[in-house]
Amino acid sequence: MLSGESLFMLDLIATFAPYMIITLSLNLEYGFGGVPNFGKTLAVAGGAFMVGYLPGRILAGMMGVGQGMDYVAQNAQIITEINNRLVFNVPLSLGILLITLAAVILFGAFLGLLVTVPVARLRTDYLAMTFLAAGEVILVIGNNYPPLVGGTLGIGVPDPFGWASTFSVLGLSPGEMRNVAVTLFMAITAIIVFLYAQKLTHSPLGRVLRAIRDDENSALALGKDVTRNRLEVIIFASAIAAIGGALYAFYTANVISTAYSRVSWTFWPWVMVMLGGAANNLGVVCGTFIFVAVRKLIIFYKDIFGPFIPFDVVWLDMLLLGAALVFILLYKPEGLLPEKPIKTIKVGGPPPSKRETPEETPSSQASGKKKVGFKLPFKLKVRKK
Amino acid sequence: MVLDISVFKDAIVFSSLLTLLTIGLTLTYLTTKVPNFAHGSIATVGIYVALILTKLLGLNIYLGLLPSFMLGGLVAILQYIVVLRPLSKRNASITTMMVATISFEFLLLSGLNILADYLSRSFLILSRYFLLKNFDFFFMGERGVLFISPILVIAITLGLFLLLTKTKFGVAMRATIENPPLAGTVGINADLVYIVSWFIAGGLAGLAGCLLPLWFIGNPDTGSFILISIFAAAVTGGLYNIYGAIIGGYVVGFAEIGLIRFMATLPDPFGAWIIGYRPVIPLLAMVITLMLAPSGITGIDLKRIMRRFGRK
Repeated sequence: MLSGESLFMLDLIATFAPYMIITLSLNLEYGFGGVPNFGKTLAVAGGAFMVGYLPGRILAGMMGVGQGMDYVAQNAQIITEINNRLVFNVPLSLGILLITLAAVILFGAFLGLLVTVPVARLRTDYLAMTFLAAGEVILVIGNNYPPLVGGTLGIGVPDPFGWASTFSVLGLSPGEMRNVAVTLFMAITAIIVFLYAQKLTHSPLGRVLRAIRDDENSALALGKDVTRNRLEVIIFASAIAAIGGALYAFYTANVISTAYSRVSWTFWPWVMVMLGGAANNLGVVCGTFIFVAVRKLIIFYKDIFGPFIPFDVVWLDMLLLGAALVFILLYKPEGLLPEKPIKTIKVGGPPPSKRETPEETPSSQASGKKKVGFKLPFKLKVRKK
Repeated sequence: MVLDISVFKDAIVFSSLLTLLTIGLTLTYLTTKVPNFAHGSIATVGIYVALILTKLLGLNIYLGLLPSFMLGGLVAILQYIVVLRPLSKRNASITTMMVATISFEFLLLSGLNILADYLSRSFLILSRYFLLKNFDFFFMGERGVLFISPILVIAITLGLFLLLTKTKFGVAMRATIENPPLAGTVGINADLVYIVSWFIAGGLAGLAGCLLPLWFIGNPDTGSFILISIFAAAVTGGLYNIYGAIIGGYVVGFAEIGLIRFMATLPDPFGAWIIGYRPVIPLLAMVITLMLAPSGITGIDLKRIMRRFGRK
C-alpha cells in the first residue's frame, strides 16, 4: 500500500505528464512559431476521442467479443470482457497501445492541417478566433455523435496496462501497480517529447520559426515560406498535443467529451506557458509543474478551508490563477525562465563562443582549417563618399 | 416541412442580441486592435443584473437596462485600464494582449460563478440555468423582448451613426481609430477616446445580457459560449466596420437559428439530430468568410467584382 503522500505524488505526476506534453506543443506553436492557438482542445480532445473510438473496436473485433452487441450501448460489458483477456496478454496490450498512439499522432496532425489550411495565411487574430471556434466544434461533435465517444455519457477504454496488476513489487496493491505503470509510461513519453521539442527548436526549423515570429516580413524577404512553416509547426504541435490527450484518456480509462472543456485544455495550458516563459522548453515544464502542483494542493486542502467560504472552491482556484496570469503579463511578461539564444548544433570544431573569428588569410587555408563563413561569388564594390 | 413561426421569433431575438454584442466587439477591436475574449462574459454581468433586479428586488426587468449598461461599461473600462492599457503602452504583441483578455475572462467567469453560488446559498434563488420570461410584458400577444430587442438595435445604430458623424467627439473618435498618433498631434485625447469606446462596448454587452434571460437560458458561462458567435458575426460582417457588425450579427444569428431549424425539418439525411450541431455554424461562417472575403461582407469591393464580370 502506498502512503497518502506517495499517492498524492503519483497523482501529481499523472496529471503533470499529459499537461507537460500539451504545453510543450503549445510552446512550439506559440513560443517559437508565434501562432496563437486558442483551440488546443481540438488536438487534445481529438487524441482522446481516437482512444475512445479505435482500440476498443479493434480488440473487440480481434477477440470476437461483443458479437451482435452494440459497442456503445453495451460498452461497459464489452470493455470488461476485453480487459479480462488483455490482462494476460502483454504483447497484445503493448501492441494496441502503440498502434493507438500512432493513429492518434496521425489524427492530431490531420486535425491541425484541417483547421489551419484555410486560414494559415491570415493574421494572428483571425487565426486565434478560428482556432477557438474549431476547439469548440470538436466538443460539439463528441457530445452529439454517440458512436464516436458515447455522447454525453462517455465511453470506456480498454486498459493496456492491466497486466501490471498481475505483478506485485514493493508490496503495492494490484490497482496501484497499474497506476504506477501508466504514470511511468506517461512520464517517459513526456520526457521523450521534451527531448524532441528541444531538438526541434534547436534545429533550422526552430530558428526559422523564431524569425517568422519576430518579423514575418524579414523572414519573407529572406525567402522563407511563412505559411508553410507555420502550417508545419501547427501540424507537429497538434500531433504532440493529441498524444497528451490520448495518454490522459488511457490513464482515466474512459473518455467523456464534456471533460475536454475550453478552460481545462486550452486556457490552463496557456497560463502554464505564460507562467513558465514562452520559447523556453525548460521554463514551460517548470511553469506546468508549478501550476499543476498549486491546483492539486488547492484541491487536496479544499476540505480544510471549504466550510469558511460561501462558494465552491473551484472558483477561488480560477480567480487566483486568473489574477496570477494578469500579474505575470503585467510584471513578468517573459515568464519564470526567459527565452535564451539558441545553441546551434555543433558541426565540428569548438563551440561558436570559442571559435576564432574567421580570417581571410591564406595561412588559415594553408593550415587545413575548415573555413567558416562564406565567400561572395562576386566582388563587392564599396563606394566611398 | 413548414417552418414554425417561433423559429423566426427566436432568430430575431437572438440576432438582435448578437448584433448588440458584435457592435461592441467591433468597437473595441477598432480602437485597441485586439479581439476581446472577455466580451461574452461582460454580457453575463448584465444577465446577473437582470436576475438580481427581478428575483431579489422584485423590480421590472426593463429597469435593469440602464444599470446593466453602466455596469457592463464600467467592467469594460476596468479591463481596458487595468489590463490592456499598460500592455499596449509597452507595445505588447497582439497575442499577449489576447492572453490578457483571457485572463480577465477568468476573473469575470470566476467572479460570476462566485456570485451565482452566493445568490443561491444566501438568498435561495435559482441562479444557474434560469429563464426570466415570466417577468416580461406582453404586447399584441407577444412577449415584449421580441419588439424591444430589434428596436434597441435600430436605436443604437442611429445613435452611433449620429455620434460618429454629427458630434465633435464622434469625429475625434473616428480620427483616433484611423490614425492615433496623427489624432494626438491635433490635440485629441486618444486615451479618453479609447476609454469611451470601451465603455460603450461594455455597455452594449451589458444591455444584451440584461435582455437575454427573457428569451434564452442564463448561466454564468452563457457569455463565453456566445463569444464564438460574436467573433463569427464580427468577422463575417467585417472586423473593420461598425455597420458590418450589424450585418454580421443578423447573418450569423439567422444562420445559427433559422438554418439549423430549417435543416432539422428536412427528411433524411437531415433531421432533428442536426440541432445539436448548432455551434458548427459560426465556425463555418467564419471559415467561409475568411476564405472568400477575408475583410468580411462590408469589405467586399463590389466595383472590382463588377469590373471582373464586365471583362468576361
